[in-house]
Amino acid sequence: MSTTSRSLADDIRGRSDRELIDLVLARPDLARPAPADLSSLAARASTKASAQRAIEALDRGHLQVLEALVVAGDPAPLPEVLQLLGTDDEATVEAHVADLWTAALLWRGADGTHVVRTVPDVLGTLVGLGPPFPERRPGATAPAGDSLRAAIAAAPAAARAILDRLTWGPAVAVLPEGGAGATAARWLLEHHLLVAASTDRVALPREVALLLREGRLHRETTLLAPELTSRPVSAQTVDDVAGGAANEMLSRIDELASAWGAEPPRVLRAGGLSVRDLKRTQERLDVPAGFAGFLVEIAYAAGLVADDGEIVPVWAPTAEVDEWSASEGGRRWASLAIAWLTTTRASHRVGTRVADAPVNALGPDVQWPAIRAIRREVLSGLAGLPPGHAADADALRARLLWRRPLRPSRLLAEAVGGVLREAEWLGVTGRGALSTPGRTLLGHHVSPGGTDTAERGAGDIASSRESLAAAMSAYLPAPIDHILLQADLTAVAPGPLVGSLAAFMRLASDVESRGGATVHRFTSGSVRRALDAGWTADDVLETLRRSSSTAVPQPLEYLVSDVARKHGVTRVGSGAAYVRSEDRGVLEALLAARELGPLALRRIAPTVLVSSADPGALADMLREHGFSPVLEGRDGGVVVAEPARRRAGSRHRTAPPALSPIDEAFTQALVSGLRVAEANADVRRAHDVARLGPTIPATDPVVSLALLRDAIADRHGVWIGVSDRYGATTRHLVHPRRVEAGRVYATDETGREQSYSVHRITGATLEAPST
Amino acid sequence: MITNDGPLIVQSDKTLLLEVEHPRAEEARRAIAPFAELERAPEHVHTYRITPLGLWNARAAGHDAEQVVDALITHSRYAVPHALLVDVADTMDRYGRLTLTKEGLGDSPEAARLVLRTTDRPVLEEVLRHKKIGPLTGERIDDLAVVVHPSERGTLKQELLKLGWPAEDLAGYVDGEAHPIELDTRDWALRPYQQQAVDGFWHGGSGVVVLPCGAGKTLVGAGAMAAAQATTLILVTNTVSARQWKDELLHRTSLTEEEIGEYSGARKEIRPVTIATYQVLTTRRKGSYTHLDLLDARDWGLIVYDEVHLLPAPIFRMTADLQTRRRLGLTATLVREDGREADVFSLIGPKRFDAPWKDIEAQGYIAPADCVEVRVTLPDGQRLAYATSERDDRYRLASCTDAKLPIIEKLARRHTGEPTLVIGQYLDQLHEVAELLEADLITGETTVKERQRLYAAFRTGEIGTLVVSKVANFSIDLPEASVAIQISGTFGSRQEEAQRLGRLLRPKGDGRTAHFYTLVSRDTVDADFAAHRQRFLAEQGYAYRIINAGDL
Repeated sequence: MSTTSRSLADDIRGRSDRELIDLVLARPDLARPAPADLSSLAARASTKASAQRAIEALDRGHLQVLEALVVAGDPAPLPEVLQLLGTDDEATVEAHVADLWTAALLWRGADGTHVVRTVPDVLGTLVGLGPPFPERRPGATAPAGDSLRAAIAAAPAAARAILDRLTWGPAVAVLPEGGAGATAARWLLEHHLLVAASTDRVALPREVALLLREGRLHRETTLLAPELTSRPVSAQTVDDVAGGAANEMLSRIDELASAWGAEPPRVLRAGGLSVRDLKRTQERLDVPAGFAGFLVEIAYAAGLVADDGEIVPVWAPTAEVDEWSASEGGRRWASLAIAWLTTTRASHRVGTRVADAPVNALGPDVQWPAIRAIRREVLSGLAGLPPGHAADADALRARLLWRRPLRPSRLLAEAVGGVLREAEWLGVTGRGALSTPGRTLLGHHVSPGGTDTAERGAGDIASSRESLAAAMSAYLPAPIDHILLQADLTAVAPGPLVGSLAAFMRLASDVESRGGATVHRFTSGSVRRALDAGWTADDVLETLRRSSSTAVPQPLEYLVSDVARKHGVTRVGSGAAYVRSEDRGVLEALLAARELGPLALRRIAPTVLVSSADPGALADMLREHGFSPVLEGRDGGVVVAEPARRRAGSRHRTAPPALSPIDEAFTQALVSGLRVAEANADVRRAHDVARLGPTIPATDPVVSLALLRDAIADRHGVWIGVSDRYGATTRHLVHPRRVEAGRVYATDETGREQSYSVHRITGATLEAPST
Repeated sequence: MITNDGPLIVQSDKTLLLEVEHPRAEEARRAIAPFAELERAPEHVHTYRITPLGLWNARAAGHDAEQVVDALITHSRYAVPHALLVDVADTMDRYGRLTLTKEGLGDSPEAARLVLRTTDRPVLEEVLRHKKIGPLTGERIDDLAVVVHPSERGTLKQELLKLGWPAEDLAGYVDGEAHPIELDTRDWALRPYQQQAVDGFWHGGSGVVVLPCGAGKTLVGAGAMAAAQATTLILVTNTVSARQWKDELLHRTSLTEEEIGEYSGARKEIRPVTIATYQVLTTRRKGSYTHLDLLDARDWGLIVYDEVHLLPAPIFRMTADLQTRRRLGLTATLVREDGREADVFSLIGPKRFDAPWKDIEAQGYIAPADCVEVRVTLPDGQRLAYATSERDDRYRLASCTDAKLPIIEKLARRHTGEPTLVIGQYLDQLHEVAELLEADLITGETTVKERQRLYAAFRTGEIGTLVVSKVANFSIDLPEASVAIQISGTFGSRQEEAQRLGRLLRPKGDGRTAHFYTLVSRDTVDADFAAHRQRFLAEQGYAYRIINAGDL
């Protein structure tokens, strides 16, 4: 590490390969697209967008250290930082500073540690602090600490109250118009404890605020993550409960698929499932409200239900459901679990209200990409505990708020609650502790650095799916192949049924109670359903006899045969046209006539024939062959029943984009590339220096901007190349004043202020030190 | 596999499935019985349900949530849903936050006030703000207590239960006027389950005992009276039943003719033990109940409600005022078609004893019964008449078909020599059947004297067949009846079905099986109602066979 850097770019150029690799790993956005050389890497690192990303990824500890560094001044001396943080834990602070340096939010010069210039802009108002004195009052000498301290001590009560209000921010207040408040404010202004921010506003200067805060920057310094409190649960119980939950989950999805297969609910115009349909589904599945939303969303995420895309679109099970239902329990679970871990849909939002409208399941408002990272962090938090320990939900919440200090805390707290609930439903956790299959899921799909699964190879996922399935299979209750039939027309399946028997029972009976076991009730309606589906009474009874570990009770036998006796006594069919005649001979002749074959006439009663041909065409054809039919009115036409089982086409799910992950190997290659580029650039620079006169190299706009910002700060002259409207490049020696809204404002050689569009600046170089 | 191979499966809808054949089934049953209600008891798997009421009763009986959770976890085959365990703990935690107590002012017990006290102020605030509860309370004593008018004790408990904050009633009972009553056990003894029922009731203070018909509920009443040693008011359904209670008490206890009074339409006697009918109590003259004074006529120490599932609404209201007396409810089937079971529990008291019918049958205390449903096909002409009839007439048309007559005759002939009852709903039909079988007929028009004569003749075997209307549904004791043919009923009433079967369940001298036939017209509402009626018995483990009339 070089200790004589003059800028971030210098610092970065001086870093070792290892340090560069760590930088890119910490800020993967710097690697895409690959930067041309180390200078542009440095320039990119100091852009506002990238700095913002890096700062948003900081936890509260690092953020607080960074804030202290910003406040401590440029360069920031460590003792002052420690004092601002109110801690004497030098080791931790130094470690945090080192992390921030690795992430290139700081650079180290000869005189100490500097914060990258864009950082204060991104941080905005610092922990409720107002601006420091000099910025507010140009030319005035800042009042000394002692005099301020004395003034604070002497402040009258009303003034003190104002100070107390402003101490922890916001530091700006509206000036009271009259009365005691105005007097107190005036007193404060006179004693330099407040400064005027505008005609009717006052601000508490940073120095005063820090005095009031007794030298500390934060009300509470939390450099390290809060401890996760946990309670022990028996590991066996955890896995048993998880297995039970997973089993329940699978059977509910089966039921959802069969319910929606028979009666698919409509897709709302804005997308999503209506509140009423969700309610109906919830009642049908007999689950709590939140669970219904989760089931529907996870089925969607796993590609088991989809919008069928018809003219009147409905939510229907996809063709994949059939394969999914038939596969082994562990695999079924694995596909749900992976779908849950990777989905960006936040199902805990279903049923809440956004902008006063309810959030519909499967609707666009459920989409919330941040949930994926939150989900992983919650699970990682659980994974950090020893097996068989359940984390306290509040502690997890506190930890996540510490991890993501810049996110709205209410949303975060809700999301943590949602994730914990869903993990329990899914069997990723049991009694609040991570289950063995849950641990496998995390192990395979979240790399230690928290990298996205999407960035891993698709083949990788397929192989880990198998081990995940095996992990859950061990805890799923073994499927059983028998039921207990009882004389009160119920059947009890004392465990999950094997696929074919489960499907039969769902068809031929109504489910009365669910859980570890399932209670089915046979009614005439349910038996009729089985007969409608093509089963015969004998088949039904034979299946029952085979599957029952006890004799089939006589009332059940009677019920089945009684329903079968009535079944099909009346028949309904379809035909487009009929021919009727009292003269049976004529009808015989029609049936026998070979040339009428295309009409496919069929006798359904002694005096009635039907055909699927159009009535007009039928009449015409009969006339052609010497009969003289008369058309009858078409009232009472037959309606063709739709088949009840609908299937949407497969939801188009492209394979996840195969990205090369930003890992060690990739970064290594990147860094060595940068090294070569940098060496080339050095040669070029050496070449440029050899030439006479200021040469303006063509630089990347971000590099130019960084240089201009530095020049503004250092009040340095800059040679810039500006491309004019004809495409020719003109050269100017300017003193830049400020950069704003894509324009650089600068004083040119003639002393006039000019402004230049940033995109027209071809390059910039510092004015050579005057000789 | 993750099973621990227990006999119990805990379902997510809070039902518990108990596999009867499992070797540890009995152990599990004993463990869950204190807090779960037996809902169905068919042959292989019994269903219990965890209800808030059941959990609160368990709390009242001294069980805590830990025991309940432990019972579930120990006996459950699969992992118990966590949400259910949390719910159990939460529900049980609600009990006892509110207590009803007697608090004296000074030393005088007369000045004791009834006070609703809480350990948790927000709960009290919540219930006092409820619009039905606020008016029942009086002056606020402090943050945690409020005075309750003694007359509102029952209503308040009822409303609090509805609200989900049951009050623990610690205010106690008055002893009532003492009166010596002994069981006269020279030639009999209380059966073990009867003794358990009496003990369960006495220990709990008040409550309901559920026993199958013919299992000797009267004796449980007598046992309770012997335990109370106090003047007793017995409320029964009708006069015949009142007489039977009287005979039974004379025979089984030390009470004499002079000590037992009958308070009915015919007689108005008030004695240390008084048997009154619901009917006379609910008789209104000019809009007011004129016989209510009876309830205050003596300082009753015990009130027995026979056939508590039939308790009429006005009696509920009166019962609310009697919360300081011990109350015993007796019934065979706590199913009310009006769904007011919860009122029974809150006003009379929780269920103190319950046994599956089949258990009692297995112990030999009630006769085994063979239930057969005979399906009769309507002749074509009647099918057409049925299809075109008004909805209201359909049941009558279907159940009174004359196609049933030859079957009744055939069945009666098959069981010649066995005491047979033919039970029906419609008088025309009953007259027709009585004529056909040349049997005597008892309906609501038959005088009490005539009824008693016929019943007596039937008991002695003088007459072999009786045709009865619904007057015979309840509380008539015909020990020897062993065949019943039900030809029509009160629509889909489950408890009527149970009561009718109950007529046959007195153990027979020679241990023979009772036969219960139900004649049903195929493909009509008659069959639908029959299916509904049979549900209770089917759930008690009585398997109905269904046969076609032609197969007889």
